[in-house]
Amino acid sequence: MIDKVKKELEIRFPLLKLVREQHNYLHIKVDKAAAADAVLTAKTSLGFTTLQLISAVDRIENGAFQLTWILENYDEQEILLISAYFPRKNCVVPSLSQIWPAASAFERELFEMFGISFPGNPREGEDFLLEGWKDMPPMRRDFETEEYARRTFGERQPREHTDPRQYIGDVVGEWNTPMGRNREEEK
Amino acid sequence: MYCNQPPKKPGDKKEVLQKITNMARANSLWVTAYGTGCGSIELRPLGTSRFDMERFGIAMRPTPRQADVLIISGYLATKTLKRVIRVYEQIQDPKYIMALGSCTINGGMYFDSYNTLNVLDKYLPVDVYVMGCMPRPEAIIDGFSLLMKKIKEGRAVGWKHYRENLDYYRENQKQIIKNWDLPDYNW
Amino acid sequence: MLSNIMSILLTVVTALVWGLLLGGISRNVTAKIHGRVGPRVTQNFIDLWKLFRKTSSIHHGGMFWMAPLFRITGAIAVLLMVPVVVGHNINYNMSFAGDIFLLLYIMFFGCLGMALGAGNSGHPYSVVAISRGLAQMSSYELSFSIAVVAVAVGLHTLRIEGIVAAQQAGVSSWNIFRFPFASAGALIAFLPMQMAYPFSIVLAPQEIPIGPPTEYSSRFLSFMFSGRALFSVAKLLLFVNLFFGGASSWMALFVKTFLLYMYAIVVSSVFPRFRTEQSIKFLWLVPTTLALVDLVRVML
Ligand code: SF4
Repeated sequence: MIDKVKKELEIRFPLLKLVREQHNYLHIKVDKAAAADAVLTAKTSLGFTTLQLISAVDRIENGAFQLTWILENYDEQEILLISAYFPRKNCVVPSLSQIWPAASAFERELFEMFGISFPGNPREGEDFLLEGWKDMPPMRRDFETEEYARRTFGERQPREHTDPRQYIGDVVGEWNTPMGRNREEEK
Repeated sequence: MYCNQPPKKPGDKKEVLQKITNMARANSLWVTAYGTGCGSIELRPLGTSRFDMERFGIAMRPTPRQADVLIISGYLATKTLKRVIRVYEQIQDPKYIMALGSCTINGGMYFDSYNTLNVLDKYLPVDVYVMGCMPRPEAIIDGFSLLMKKIKEGRAVGWKHYRENLDYYRENQKQIIKNWDLPDYNW
Repeated sequence: MLSNIMSILLTVVTALVWGLLLGGISRNVTAKIHGRVGPRVTQNFIDLWKLFRKTSSIHHGGMFWMAPLFRITGAIAVLLMVPVVVGHNINYNMSFAGDIFLLLYIMFFGCLGMALGAGNSGHPYSVVAISRGLAQMSSYELSFSIAVVAVAVGLHTLRIEGIVAAQQAGVSSWNIFRFPFASAGALIAFLPMQMAYPFSIVLAPQEIPIGPPTEYSSRFLSFMFSGRALFSVAKLLLFVNLFFGGASSWMALFVKTFLLYMYAIVVSSVFPRFRTEQSIKFLWLVPTTLALVDLVRVML
């Protein structure tokens, strides 16, 4: 069955590259200009009506984001992955939220986590997971997570010894917490 | 509807009465049923026949209004911290915080995450830490017995500390909660 | 005058202590059924004292403050209207002809006050619980009233004291044997009154976490707890007086109320919960029919 899908897609998009094929699974890569077209074709004429996920991978060495639309044909139990590379700088990807309302949530997440903009999504820019995030989108690979965590959440105090007595207060079982320390400083 | 005056400092009650009250408080700890991280999985068995926390007078309450103890059960995202502060400030005095797992002590395995805080004590006054990743129910019961001991001796005063050093805690909280929209007092 | 006050105090304090103890015992019995150890028997006293000494800084309007008092008032009123120990004048008893109808009304006074107060708190769970509770109340009240009317008609008296006096000729004269159907109906209606399990749609811990008292805290909650303890003792007393021949001594009183309470606990801990409409349907059909059978039998 997946052969038929493949043939159909090859006729319409002669430039597509095959990434992987199994008996009910097909992963293709298309040009970025043809991406939305390919997803639409899969939905309207090939029966892939369910959008499972839109995922992004930061291919920083290629200077691109790889976006993958994962579609499912529930009746035939087939899965189709359509990937495309979009340039990393000011990344703009066509929105599919008019076709699948569920796409809106994925697109908002990608906007927040990678800074990929989906013009046409009516809810773009609304807070999704990070409330009021002002830094660089945290899932980009040039985002220094550890440095950020240290800057925001304070230095983590590493242990110099492995003797637990150093870290447990005078009262057995009571931790020498910052709260306790504050109180001692006050005294 | 809330009052925006900080509440009056509790005066010293008569010794004997205070002692009886402390005994009562220690033997009837009601826990807000609110889980933040993996550790809350280990809280559930506490109510079952194997560990049976009811024999110590510990019970789960579904609403913060009626609870005494807030258990921070593991890693805390900044988004959750906002809700936790809300919950903590709705608990009526006296109130205690118990923190589970290494995540609350120094960040644990999420020390370099962009969205989970490292040292809980900077944001909320913790009375008892229970170590482990994740702590077993026995360890949590041990933590409870430590809390009981502290309450009986009148040393579980995190809530007073929070009230007196509110500015310190607020400053820390505002540092990591980007879109701060809590009222400054909501006791 | 003074002796009246003393006896009222005695009744109320005894009922409160006994109610809290019964609560502790019931928690233990439930725990044993679950295979747990269970809390101390005195746990409820500890909880009460702790709640009483917690600070409270929540304000939701006047009715919110009044509701626990309404509950306690309703409970005490019921308590003073039923004879505690028969033929003993140590307990104050305001008995008069027709008091049974006043009692039927005043039993729900506390619940209504509670409904207003919890509604005033504005918490959605409280409001859901109250609408469920009032719907359920109207259905079990019906069967209970019919059962009481059947007994009153059968015994030709409208005084509770008269009903009790008619049952003093040995065990076979108890109303549960003379009016078996009405008693069965009333005993089924007793379960939702105690918020016992198949009918526990008001507190429903799994869906509307605790129901009406969601917003209540500290001192209010302690009042509410004592109100509930008093009220359950009052209901137990009423049932003992109406169907189980009253209590001729303190010992008989404690044994009878204890057994009746255990009935609710044991049923409660082995059943799952009805949905709202199932509960109401059941209460409209089964106990009401049972009570009606006896009413018709008495009238004919
Ligand atoms: S300490 Fe371990 S178990 Fe607990 S929240 Fe952190 S990672 Fe999870």
